[in-house]
Amino acid sequence: MDQAAAVSVVFTPLDWLWVILLISAMIACGVVFYRLGKRSEADFFLAGRGLPWWLPATSVYATHTATDTPMWICGTIYKWGMRGIWFPFFTAWTAISAFVSTRIFRRSLAMSQAEWQNLRYSGLGAELLRGWLAGWQTFMNMFVLAWVSAAMGKICTYLFAWPNWIGVVAFTSICAVYVLVAGYWGVIMADFQQGVISFLVITLVSVWGISVAGGPSGIVSRLGEIGESARLNPFHFDGFWGLDPNLFYTADFVTLLIMSTLGGIGMGNFIDWYPEAQRIQSARTIRDASYSIWAGGFVTLIRNSVWAVAILAFFVMYPALESEAQYEMGWFRLGFEHLPAGMIGVFFAGIIAIHLSTISTHLNLGALYATRDLYHHYINPEASEATLVRVGRINTLLLLLGSFLLGLTMQSITSWLIFALWLQAAGIWIPSLLQVIWWRFNSWAYLSSWIANLVMSWLVVWVLPALGVLPELPNWLNFWLLAGLVSLVYLPVCFFTKADDREHLLRYYVQARPLGFWGPIHAEAERRGLLTTQGGAS
Amino acid sequence: MSVFKTEWTADDADRWTIHDLLACVFGVLAFFLVTVGLAGSILLQPWGFVCLALSMVFTWLTFKVIDPKLRTLSAAFEKKQAGYLEDMERHNRWEGDDAG
Repeated sequence: MDQAAAVSVVFTPLDWLWVILLISAMIACGVVFYRLGKRSEADFFLAGRGLPWWLPATSVYATHTATDTPMWICGTIYKWGMRGIWFPFFTAWTAISAFVSTRIFRRSLAMSQAEWQNLRYSGLGAELLRGWLAGWQTFMNMFVLAWVSAAMGKICTYLFAWPNWIGVVAFTSICAVYVLVAGYWGVIMADFQQGVISFLVITLVSVWGISVAGGPSGIVSRLGEIGESARLNPFHFDGFWGLDPNLFYTADFVTLLIMSTLGGIGMGNFIDWYPEAQRIQSARTIRDASYSIWAGGFVTLIRNSVWAVAILAFFVMYPALESEAQYEMGWFRLGFEHLPAGMIGVFFAGIIAIHLSTISTHLNLGALYATRDLYHHYINPEASEATLVRVGRINTLLLLLGSFLLGLTMQSITSWLIFALWLQAAGIWIPSLLQVIWWRFNSWAYLSSWIANLVMSWLVVWVLPALGVLPELPNWLNFWLLAGLVSLVYLPVCFFTKADDREHLLRYYVQARPLGFWGPIHAEAERRGLLTTQGGAS
Repeated sequence: MSVFKTEWTADDADRWTIHDLLACVFGVLAFFLVTVGLAGSILLQPWGFVCLALSMVFTWLTFKVIDPKLRTLSAAFEKKQAGYLEDMERHNRWEGDDAG
């Protein structure tokens, strides 16, 4: 495995004390919220739908700050300079989502995105779509768990020269304790604690790294000395457009900007939507849901900017690294190689907090899809609340074991994430908007877009270039090519299949009040007097 | 219609209005500006401080324009939520005429 050489970091007893204190606090969350978590399915997966906005907001931030995140942000900033900050800018979908898709989703009251499909669409297509999304999300959460655990494995190998499997397995298993015991209550309370710790640690290590590199003016002047001043400019692009995958074009920037902002109108067009959907539904009101998503996204972007400057600091200190596996460890090297004795433990405790906050979310979220959408809806619709909580725990355990198997096979983090976060969502990006804003878009069209996208994204990005049939394309072209190719499948499917049942659409419309092209449904709802304060309640 | 309207009826708040659009536009600008503004400020670049200050202004505008509306529509929806939840559980358990 090509990775950074292990360094000899000396942990003093004080360092280990920090680590033990934090892990103890995490497990305490599980014990404290055990009784709340076991009350019902809604408690185990949504904390009873009663959280004030700042709790899910911290969780949005904490969940999106995983051990792999500094690696892939470091990978993009080290490679591209400050313009690389537009890759993680996809978080900006929350700016529009907070006031559009978040509001619509919160009003639907669906426990998961798969359940929302079942409320938005009707008939066999809706059931197939729900089953498909539930299965896919169960797997996808296992996949996320695997790559985040793989990142932790890399860090532990780098730090302690441990075999990879120890880092993959050890800390994720600790997290599983409080997720199994308290469900989402444990996740959200631990996320609050972990979010605060991780933000402080990220700031501390980044400021320290910047200082070691000579401070802000030292970084700027050093970049000038080595002829890399363009790295300071977030708008320095290699021409408007082109076909070289190793260049960063304005077309990449514009594509990222469109995708990340307008994407907030849709549901399900980013893998991040799925954990956020759980946070949206756990908020006690629509207003709380909106602010939680907005604030979580905002703080995440603040974090990105702090990291970006720290990685520029790393670049001026180590400007000649060529291997992605080496330079994506840059931020960790700033901390472990330059923090003073006694602070290493704080840093490592912060890394554990970062790791556990993401792991806990995806363990609980994967179990939500497996329990609510597969077991409860299809296998045992009459299950009692106690049974559902028990099945939730079993599913959590199965996800954990599956993630270990996958995590031990992963190598490079950055390439996986660009593929998973961007390209793998390209084909369903437009359909995910259409399903929110257009009444005529039906379940068969959405289902076909998913299947077509899965096939085509692998073909266009991996298989055909490997076989020499297609050249390796730049990211912006991959995105629009996939969006176009997949539309050749779902648009005909949409027009050649029936619209969803009108009564079903009417019920959904009155409750969720989607925006966009809902003319016939809106007119019918008005005719029946369902859009007033008195109407609409069943 | 005032951009900074503070009094909303429940029915009006349920409709999509210019306030939603403005909140989205201001929000995106705040996000965009904080991304470049904070990085620029840490590097002590003058453009960074300008962008950061503008991001604060757009953050304030976002909440100024949308908060009264969100408060009203949230309160109105909470009154209907229990009924909707019962419906959803029936649907999940395949009961009723629209359970698939």
